Amino acid sequence: MTGVTTENVDTVVYDSVVTQVGGQVEAFLGHGLLIFFKAGSPPELHDISVLHEATTADDGPRPGDTIHLGDCGLEVLAVGPVVRDNLLNLGHLDLKADGRTEPKLPGDVCIRVGDIPLLAVGDTFRITRPRTETKENHP
Amino acid sequence: MSDYKSVKVSKGRGGWGGPLTITPTDDRPLVASITGGGIHPVAQKIAELTGGEAFDGFSSSAPFDKLAVAVIDCGGTARVGVYPMKKVKTVDIHATSPAGPLAQFITEELFVSGVKPEDVEEA
Repeated sequence: MTGVTTENVDTVVYDSVVTQVGGQVEAFLGHGLLIFFKAGSPPELHDISVLHEATTADDGPRPGDTIHLGDCGLEVLAVGPVVRDNLLNLGHLDLKADGRTEPKLPGDVCIRVGDIPLLAVGDTFRITRPRTETKENHP
Repeated sequence: MSDYKSVKVSKGRGGWGGPLTITPTDDRPLVASITGGGIHPVAQKIAELTGGEAFDGFSSSAPFDKLAVAVIDCGGTARVGVYPMKKVKTVDIHATSPAGPLAQFITEELFVSGVKPEDVEEA
């Protein structure tokens, strides 16, 4: 029998490890907001941010990608026009649990309405993209 | 005493707030570029016209109370509020309006957005 199977393989486009969690982060989670900046960002940003160090920084998120916060995977619904530059240049990302399919602000990454987990130092912050590979199977 | 000059920074297309008059002082001499990719041309122009010191906030650090102005490339949530909250005049190169958890701190006296180098002129 000859057949074609479709295998789903996720590509990691951004991979990082949390190095610090600011004192205001949990309060912002209550408003459905999580802010990232790279380690080494100006100190006045530390209080409101999760700081992290990226090991892979190939691309910013696109709708349909998954953002992984520790063990929690969240589907990306919408992405503002300045998100990619901010993430790749500054390690900066604003995650909004607002359920929007069009971003309200140019820096927004929108996910479903609901809780966003509180990250801890050492946790993973990763973005994966579904990749559909088609392989031909021969008998 | 250093001899600093003033500039007027007006909102650009689609922008909000201002105009801001920015005058560095001996206590607040720094024009901070809190942006990706080094010192932004808007920060460079403010520094050149005022005699302030342009400074890349992501490659070195300085206390925020030394800042005459913070130039940001914020997408609308975080940096737009952090610097106004600390009473630092803030220039966003993106055309944002008050929003985010710190929106209450963003006022026309402290914030202007959508700014390009041509929106910076001698006061």
